[in-house]
Amino acid sequence: MKRPASAPAMLRKAGSHLHLLMAVPALLLFGFFFILPLTRGIWLSLTDWNGVSKASFVGLQNFVDFFRDPRALHDVLITVLFALGSAPLLNLFGLAYALVLDHEFRGRNLVRTIVYLPAIISPLIMGYIWYFILQPQRGVLWQIATSVNPAFSGGNWLAGPRGALVVLILVNVWQYVGMTMVVYLAGLQSISSEVIEACAIDGAGYFQTLRHVVLPILLSSSVKINVITNIIGSLSVFDVIMALTEGGPGYGTESLSIYIMRMCYGSFTGYSTAVALVLFVIVLIPVLISLGFFRSAEFEA
Amino acid sequence: MLKRIATFTMAVLLIVGLSLAVGAEKRAAVKLFTGKVETVEWMDDLIKRFNKENPGIVVEQEYQKDASNVIKVKLASGDVPDITTVWDQGFADMGKYLDLSNEARWWSRIQPAIRDMCTDLRSGKQYRIATNMTMAGLFYNKAIFAELGLKEATTWEEFKANLKTIKQKRPGVAPLFMGGKESWMLGHLIEFMAHGVIKQQYGAMGSRQAFLANDDSKLRFDAVGGPMDIFASRILELKNEGLLNSDFLTATYDNQLEAFATGKAAMISQGMWALSGVLDKNPDMKEIGFSPYPPIVNGAKPVVLAAEDSAYLIMAESKHKDEAKKFLDYLFRPENLKSYSEFLKAPSSFTDVQADWGPIKDSVAQALKNGINIGFTTEGPSGFSGDDAGRMVQELYMGKYRTSIEFAKAYKAAWDKAWKAANK
Repeated sequence: MKRPASAPAMLRKAGSHLHLLMAVPALLLFGFFFILPLTRGIWLSLTDWNGVSKASFVGLQNFVDFFRDPRALHDVLITVLFALGSAPLLNLFGLAYALVLDHEFRGRNLVRTIVYLPAIISPLIMGYIWYFILQPQRGVLWQIATSVNPAFSGGNWLAGPRGALVVLILVNVWQYVGMTMVVYLAGLQSISSEVIEACAIDGAGYFQTLRHVVLPILLSSSVKINVITNIIGSLSVFDVIMALTEGGPGYGTESLSIYIMRMCYGSFTGYSTAVALVLFVIVLIPVLISLGFFRSAEFEA
Repeated sequence: MLKRIATFTMAVLLIVGLSLAVGAEKRAAVKLFTGKVETVEWMDDLIKRFNKENPGIVVEQEYQKDASNVIKVKLASGDVPDITTVWDQGFADMGKYLDLSNEARWWSRIQPAIRDMCTDLRSGKQYRIATNMTMAGLFYNKAIFAELGLKEATTWEEFKANLKTIKQKRPGVAPLFMGGKESWMLGHLIEFMAHGVIKQQYGAMGSRQAFLANDDSKLRFDAVGGPMDIFASRILELKNEGLLNSDFLTATYDNQLEAFATGKAAMISQGMWALSGVLDKNPDMKEIGFSPYPPIVNGAKPVVLAAEDSAYLIMAESKHKDEAKKFLDYLFRPENLKSYSEFLKAPSSFTDVQADWGPIKDSVAQALKNGINIGFTTEGPSGFSGDDAGRMVQELYMGKYRTSIEFAKAYKAAWDKAWKAANK
C-alpha cells in the first residue's frame, strides 16, 4: 500500500511549479489587453474594412497604398522632424534644469514647481492657451512683438507649415521638459555625495566631474529612460498638434497619429490600422537603436 | 465578530446592488447622441423636464464635436445610441436607421418641402425628422453698405467690385472675413459656391443623384472650366487682390463673429446658426443684411442654402424605440419647438409652430426669393468630409497648388478615393 505524501512534500512539489502559476494572471492580462488587440490589428490591416460593412481580405495592399500616398509620406516626414526637434531639446533642457535645480538655493522648490507644472496640465488646454498667446494679429505675444518692432507685423507664425512646426516643437518642449527634469533629478540625487566629494578632493572642477562622473552614471539610468520615453512620445505626438494647429494649415503639420485618426474616422479603418502598425515600426527602430547604444555604452563603462 | 461584520456588509452591498440593478432595468435609458453644440444646453433643460414627466424613462445626452466620425466608432464597438442627430448615407444604405416614413402624426405637421429634403434617395424612405430650416449665405453690415452706396451683388464682378470698394474706402475693415483655421467653414464655401453650380444646374433631385452615384458627366470635378477649377480660381482672385482678411488661415469662428459684430468685417460667409453668436457679442447690432452667394460661373444665378436642419433619427438597433419616439413626441410639441426655434434663430419646419426666430427674418425671406435655393451635399462620401474639403482650401490659399486645375484634380482624387471606400 502506497503511503500518502506528507504535506511538506506536496508543498515542495507544488512549489516547484508555483512561480509558473503565479505568472498566469499577468499573462492572461497581457494576452487579453496586448496580444489579442495586436493580433486583431494585424488582421484588420490586411483588410479593406471601412468601419461599418463587412471586411474583405486585401493582403498587403494597405501597406502598398501607404507608401504610394504623398500625404502619408509627408506626415512621416513631419513626425520625424518633430521628433528630431523635440527629443534632443527635451533632454538638453531637462538635464540643464535638473543640474541647476539640484543645487540648494532660495525658492528652489517654487522654480521646480513652475518648470514641472505644464506637464500636469492637459495638453489640449495648453495648446489652446498657446494659440491665444501666439495667434497672429490677436495673440498677446504677437502684439508685444509688433509694438517692440513693427517688422514683426508680417509674421504669421502659425499660417505656414514651417513656422507652425517650429512653434509646435517649442511648445512641446516647454510642456514636457518638467517630466524629463524630474527623471534627471532623481538620477542626480541617487549619486552618492561621497563620490562628488572625492572628485573635489582629487581637484576635479565642476565640468570635469560632470563629464567623467555624473554623466556616465546618469547614462545607464536617467538618460536611457528619458531618451526612450521622449522618442516614443515625440514620434506618437497627437494632442499638442491637435490643439494648436489641428494638423494645419491644410495638412502642413499633420502627424502620423492624426493621420491614423482621420483615416479611421473616414471610411479607411483597415488602412488606418495598417498605418498604425507602420508607426509602431517607426517608433520601434530608434528605440531599439538607442537601447543597443546604451547597452554598448554600459559595457564599455 | 469581524466575520459577522464582513458578512453583514456583503449582504447589504448585495441587496443595494440588486435593487439598483432592478431599478435601472425598470427605467429605460434612452441615449441621445448629438453633434450640435448649439443645442446642448437647451436640450439638457428639455431632457430634465421630460425625465421628470416620464419616471419610467431616463434620457441622457452625449455631445461630441466630431459626432459624424465618433458614431462610426460607437457602432463598430456596439455602443449604439437610441436617438442621434448624425445622418450618414452609408448607414442608411446598411439599414442602420429606423424607417420613420409612417409616423403620420409628425409628417402631417411638417412642410412638404422639408419632407422631400429628408427623403433618402436610394430607398425613398424618411429616416430623419428635421425640426428646422437653416439658411446660409453672406451676412453683411448694412450700415457700411449704405454708407458706401453698395448693393447686394448678383454677379461675381459686382461682388468683387463691392469688396474692392470696401477695401479702398474702409482700410481698417476686412471686406470678406473668413475664420479659415476652422476647416468646416471653408468646406462650406465648396458646398455652397462650387457644388452650388451643380445643384443649380441639375436641380435638387438631379444633383443629389449625381453626388450619390458619383456621376462624373455631371459633377465634372476635374474638368477645365468645371466647378472646382472655377472655384479655386475665384478664391485665388480674392486672395491675390487682398479682399480677404489677412489672418485668413489663423482666424477662428469666434474671431469671425467678433469682427462682424464690432464692424471690423463688412461681410462674412455663415449660416443662421451664427446669428445668436453675433448678437451675443453685440446685442445692439441691428444693421445685419443677408444675401445669397454670388455665382462663381458667369451667367449663373446667386445661390442660398435653404436646407433641413436639426434632424433627429432613431437607430434601428435601439432597444428603446418606443421610448425614443415618446421623447421625440415631447420634443415636437409646438411650445417646445417654438422655444427651440427662437433659441436656434432658425425657422421651424413644423407648420403649427409660429416662432419669432430672428431680427433678420425679412432679409432672409428676400434672399430666398433672390437666390436659387440649394441644400447640403448630404450624399457625399462619408470618408471625405466638409473638414477634409476645407483643409484643401487651406492648402489652396497657402499656395500648395500651382494652378486652379491642379486643385480641381486633387479634389476629384480625394472624392473618388472616399467614394470607392464607402461603396465597395
